[in-house]
Amino acid sequence: MDVIQISDLRGRPRAPRPEEVNLNFSEKAVRELEQLLNHYPDKKSAILPCLWIAQREYGGYLPSEAIAEVALRLDRSYAEIEGVATFYTMYHVGHPTGKHLIEVCTCLSCHLCGAYRLADHIKSKLGIDWGETTPDGMFTIEEVECLDACDRAPVLQISDQYYGPVDDKTVDAILEKLKSETSPSTVRLADEIVQAQLHKRDQEKVSGN
Amino acid sequence: MAAAANEPQSVILTINDIEIEVPRGELIVESVKRIGLEIPIFCYHSRMKPVGMCRMCLVDVGFKQPDGSVRMMPKPQAGCTLPADNNMVVYTDTEKVRRDRKGVLEFLLINHPLDCPICDRGGECPLQNNTIFYGPSTTRYVEIKRHLPKAFPLSKYVTLDLERCIQCGRCVRFTEEISGDSQLAFRFRGAMMQPSTFELTDFESRFSGNVIEICPVGALTSAEYRFRARPWDLQTKPSICLECSNGCNTWFDYRVASLVRINGRTNEAVNEEWTCDKGKFGQNYLNSPDRLTEVFVRDGDKLIESNWATAFQQVSVAFQSAGSKCAALVGGKASNEDIFMLKRLFTEAFGSNNLDHRWTRCLPKSDALYRVATSIADFENEPVIFVFGNNIAEEQPILFLRIRKAWFRNDAKVIVACPEACEADTFAHTSLRYRPGTEAVLLGAIHRAATGAGGVDIAEASSITGVGEEAIRRAADAMKSGFALAASRSLLDLRNGEHVVGALSNLTIACNSSEKYNLFATSANEEGARQIEFMPSAEGKNTREILEACASGEMKALWLLECDPLSLSHDNELVTKALETVEFLVVQNHIKSECVQFASVLLPACAFSEKDGTYTNLERRVQRIKPIIAAKGSAKPAWKSFGELLLRMKGDPPPFHAHEVMQLIAASHQKFQSAIYENLEGEGVVIPANQSTEPQAVDVEYTAMEVPSNTP
Ligand code: SF4
Ligand code: FES
Ligand code: FES
Repeated sequence: MDVIQISDLRGRPRAPRPEEVNLNFSEKAVRELEQLLNHYPDKKSAILPCLWIAQREYGGYLPSEAIAEVALRLDRSYAEIEGVATFYTMYHVGHPTGKHLIEVCTCLSCHLCGAYRLADHIKSKLGIDWGETTPDGMFTIEEVECLDACDRAPVLQISDQYYGPVDDKTVDAILEKLKSETSPSTVRLADEIVQAQLHKRDQEKVSGN
Repeated sequence: MAAAANEPQSVILTINDIEIEVPRGELIVESVKRIGLEIPIFCYHSRMKPVGMCRMCLVDVGFKQPDGSVRMMPKPQAGCTLPADNNMVVYTDTEKVRRDRKGVLEFLLINHPLDCPICDRGGECPLQNNTIFYGPSTTRYVEIKRHLPKAFPLSKYVTLDLERCIQCGRCVRFTEEISGDSQLAFRFRGAMMQPSTFELTDFESRFSGNVIEICPVGALTSAEYRFRARPWDLQTKPSICLECSNGCNTWFDYRVASLVRINGRTNEAVNEEWTCDKGKFGQNYLNSPDRLTEVFVRDGDKLIESNWATAFQQVSVAFQSAGSKCAALVGGKASNEDIFMLKRLFTEAFGSNNLDHRWTRCLPKSDALYRVATSIADFENEPVIFVFGNNIAEEQPILFLRIRKAWFRNDAKVIVACPEACEADTFAHTSLRYRPGTEAVLLGAIHRAATGAGGVDIAEASSITGVGEEAIRRAADAMKSGFALAASRSLLDLRNGEHVVGALSNLTIACNSSEKYNLFATSANEEGARQIEFMPSAEGKNTREILEACASGEMKALWLLECDPLSLSHDNELVTKALETVEFLVVQNHIKSECVQFASVLLPACAFSEKDGTYTNLERRVQRIKPIIAAKGSAKPAWKSFGELLLRMKGDPPPFHAHEVMQLIAASHQKFQSAIYENLEGEGVVIPANQSTEPQAVDVEYTAMEVPSNTP
């Protein structure tokens, strides 16, 4: 019996070999990672903070080179790092986000207080739908679950800032203010998380006393 | 024992009102098997850590109270993650459990497509089976199912159908825990969670075929087997893989007398249940148009189809007139029976002792250097393992899995010395990446570091081999109080192979580990040929001498059984010259090879699936194969043709069945006495090693050797 050829698609492009991966971490990032590794018994445990470093270094999102770099730096497989990164919604894997990520809570309390109406306003103002980015690369809008600030519903999160309760007017003002900000808040958020991780140990020591 | 006295090693629990005693910590899913019950499962696999991902194995659990009553837990428990304990009361078949199982299956089926009629797994699918036995007969879910890519080619062997996946994680855990390449991981989460490689790139693994077998649904299927048969159309028989020297046990699935697929067969002593991709997907040659199925004899510059009688006639004339100037060489796929009968033919009928099965560059005389002392399964419990030489995952994939298991399960220290990056590096205690050609120097340095004497200076060795001094010391430190060696005979292909192997032997002696010295065979029945002593005695010629004598015209006739010298030998110039020059060349093989063009007589042999016989794997385990499909054309088992030739030339009654040949082997080689066919059912039989005297240290030149670089 001959082998029946099912498809010519057989065989996929191969993943990059370690020597083909460009390591783009800045010196500062490398130093931070080294310090972080001291916090944990093994490199695997440092995956999450290391992904934050990568998200900062690669401009607010994780392109495939970033995944590969994290994998190499932590001696894990690419697939494992990709799996972890795609599990968490705060890592943006594969495609860039805008400089500012607007996360609109649409869970119960916010929903009742008009979150969708608010979202519609933002969407039509910016001309984008959920998950999309404005052509100038400024804003991305995303729908998120309860932000744990129901008393201030409806709530927005942009970087590490909560805004609520907000209405169309306050949102317009927020957007205007953000437009004048040049540094991307997504990168700033990543950096803040990395710094917090770096100091976590010391904080723990303090609170332990 | 004393320390464990207050912590009894076994516990007593009740399962379905039957009281049983099981080892402490045994999982309930295993304990129930002791009373002949089974709990339905998907994600649990006895060779991997339990994760409790699918909830199929729910059981009702309670505890006996001091007052004699039983207090049941309010919720059912996952039997695959629950360790047995004293006073535990387990019910596997209550109304509640049945209802819960139905619920779990209904959920699992929410997103599972109903394409069983065109699914490869249909008919042997655990999801199908569990649904029939435990599932609901209809679904309440009427919404749209999740849609994902179907029939995605993950590699040239594995096709992934994401819609069918029930997210059990078996495939992901296999690559993490067993094969160690971590090629698969779950991407995304919740209902969208999908097992995949990094960005769906090629699934590059030596063991990828196993995930097809362990996937409990048809999500991972074999690209080769897809749509070629339904399981109930297949016939299946046990077989052995001959692609390397491990001797993995396989199921040979065939249909209309041709191979359709190979699956792993459980043999705890050899391959557990795994196969490598070479063995699982590399057997298509059986159906190849290049199979040799008829007898051919030379007529001028053509080979014309003929019959056995004519061929025998020509062969006996040619070999008899050659007198002792004839020789035989065998390759790795000849069975014990073939090899033994060929040896008999040559020694008894032709009066020649020019026999050999070794193809390496160096052919050390000392039998002790070829020792194999540790069995595959024993490696699991070795605390220190020294893997030396070529990439072990490539040469002995299944042994590699055991060594990895020794590290994964038992924290073995594995020292890996290999000239190139290899899979074993990923779990190595110390990796010694030496420059090719500097094997002996590296071993000399480890010797010095471990014993403080002998060998070579460490600093000097470090600069020659390119391995750091510290790494050498670290390795020596781990090894000095004993280690098990895993090295292969391909080391003898090095120009200073004899010294390298000698250095290994000296090192094991110096570290009191000479009873753990192993130099493994590389081809399927190489060890068998060695045990049957298919080698020249004192006055005979070895492979190299035979080829040289053929090339010079001194050797008149040559018999090649199941081998292609052009691919086996490192000196193709010599081989070509020898094959051209020798007057009479018999090529006997199951497949056409390059050397066919030089043949005077071409004899078809049966492939492993077509004959009865035994093979001896690298740990001297003799395993039986039985004929599964009919011989092709006029092919016959090689041993049979030798018997017939012996009958013609000497009037010896020929053996009619392979087991008679084994009796003959046992009569002339004591150690095969335990390997008669009645004993070979099940795991096969390990025959004893040669009674060699205490291994002696040998003189070794600890020097490096220039290696011509292959890079153009
Ligand atoms: S592909 Fe198969 S083995 Fe892998 S998670 Fe899905 S169902 Fe389980
Ligand atoms: S529902 Fe929006 S913050 Fe809780
Ligand atoms: S078999 Fe127990 S949860 Fe899957």
